[in-house]
Amino acid sequence: MLWFEREVVGSLIASPDQSVRSSVESFVDGSLRDMPEHLRAGVIGETVLLGTYVAALRATGRLPSGDGEALLHQLDSWETSRIGVLRTYVRMMKSLVVFAENEYASEDAA
Amino acid sequence: MGDLTTDVLVIGSGAGGAITAAALATHGRSVTVVEEGPWIDADAMEPFSLEEMVAKYRHHGLAAALGNPAVAYAEGRCVGGSTEINSGLYHRLPDHLATEWQQIYGIDEFTPAALAGYADRVEADLSVSRVPGAPPASSAVLERGATKLGWRNVEFARVFRYDADGRGTKQTMSRTMLPRAVAAGATIVPDCRVQRLIRRGDRIVGVRCRRTHPGGGVEQLTIAADHVFVCGGAVHTPALLQRSGIRHNVGNGLKMHPTIKIAARFPHPVDHGDVPMHRVTEFSPFVAIGGSASRKGHIAMALSDTGAPFDDALADWENISTYYAAIRSEGSGRVLALPGLRSPLVTYALTEADLSRLARGLVHLGEMLLAAGATELHPSVVGGRIVRRLDELGSWWDQVTRARANLMTVHLTSTVRMGENRARTGADSFGRVWGYRNLRVNDGSLIPDAPGVNPQAAIMAIATRNCDQFLADGR
Repeated sequence: MLWFEREVVGSLIASPDQSVRSSVESFVDGSLRDMPEHLRAGVIGETVLLGTYVAALRATGRLPSGDGEALLHQLDSWETSRIGVLRTYVRMMKSLVVFAENEYASEDAA
Repeated sequence: MGDLTTDVLVIGSGAGGAITAAALATHGRSVTVVEEGPWIDADAMEPFSLEEMVAKYRHHGLAAALGNPAVAYAEGRCVGGSTEINSGLYHRLPDHLATEWQQIYGIDEFTPAALAGYADRVEADLSVSRVPGAPPASSAVLERGATKLGWRNVEFARVFRYDADGRGTKQTMSRTMLPRAVAAGATIVPDCRVQRLIRRGDRIVGVRCRRTHPGGGVEQLTIAADHVFVCGGAVHTPALLQRSGIRHNVGNGLKMHPTIKIAARFPHPVDHGDVPMHRVTEFSPFVAIGGSASRKGHIAMALSDTGAPFDDALADWENISTYYAAIRSEGSGRVLALPGLRSPLVTYALTEADLSRLARGLVHLGEMLLAAGATELHPSVVGGRIVRRLDELGSWWDQVTRARANLMTVHLTSTVRMGENRARTGADSFGRVWGYRNLRVNDGSLIPDAPGVNPQAAIMAIATRNCDQFLADGR
């Protein structure tokens, strides 16, 4: 995963449990690596653009640094964006994290 | 010429490939099956689990047909193909579609009566049956809701064998046809990706493959074959043909059943270990209503689709199950092999009528679930209203838009359509690829259009029929 992907995934994971967090990160990392190459290339391109945009927001004080909640709000706004690839990016990351987190949490509970 | 030599080479081991291998091997042919994915014990993993998704799904289940909106899809990538990961539901091809396709595409020997004979054989071979006793609660929901509304519904048969205690075992290809093929002398080569077919004039003389060994080593392999059956499914069959320079009506016309979902909350627990076997057929063939895999992860994913907080609902996940409305789409798509890349580009264009049909399907699904006693409905629509009463369903009509609908599918077909009408098809009536004497396709790619029901039964019946024709032809 690229640094911004890691940050997005980290902000989407709700569990404070370190083992669940690292299992989810590892699952998302593996899934991204296993994507069709052209889709992965597109996701990397978006990650770089969005990461740069977020860095610029932080540099200008319009987004608090190190604030996971602020990044989550930003992701929520992208999820309903009129730009299709932006919506798809957020939905994909959310789906991966939510599915894996709940599956790992169920395994732990069992 | 090759490292291996075989009479018949079957590429892919799913519903089409495994049936081909078993049919030809039991008739004394020398058969080799190459499968890109690994050979995994069918009992090794829990169905629909994350572990299974990592091990048996292509791309961990993370693939999409690009378009507006994109449609996520899942395929198996293991010995047995998608039969290892699907719900096992079995529904014969509707007679009116066989008749319609026979006329449009000029398919020989494709009457409903002829297909019924092949379906009978498949059903006997695979113990296709209905669940003994009462259906599980998640399936009874569909029956109850539809019956209350006076809608037609049916319990579908499944490719399951039940023991005396009523325990069912899915009759996947790795449990049935592939062992039968091996017993008759066939060889199965897992972890072996076919890179391209080797053409010589109007014949395929072999294939070039890349085999990965369990220890991590990689081996280039050439397999010489007298006859080649490509059975990689509707995405990877056309991609392989295109990579090999075969392009006439190959890869265009992709069809699917785009699917929209609801996570439905009930005042009582719902089972989560199986996929509901009932289907609401009131709106068939254009809209089919059924139930999906509903492990906790699936439910969380479905609840998250609206974008609203869902912690409260998730805490009650044992009372929630997911259901879907799948449409017979009038849109179509393409599969395109990209030079230098392993994965083809897949696109799909939904029409406005498709979107309208999806909205109608979602509203009907909501009606049915409320009639069945659901207390809260979470649609797979970003910003979609969480519905608790019948009079709230109307809001969904305007919410199912290209920007907001979350769609997926597991049924992909029609990328090398069959028939004698060369302008519309990539293969003849029995799957022989136009322009090649010994190259055949024998999987869901041949099905000329989306059938509106799970295509597994049609794939199996057509594959059986095509093998009979191949053998009768004395090839």
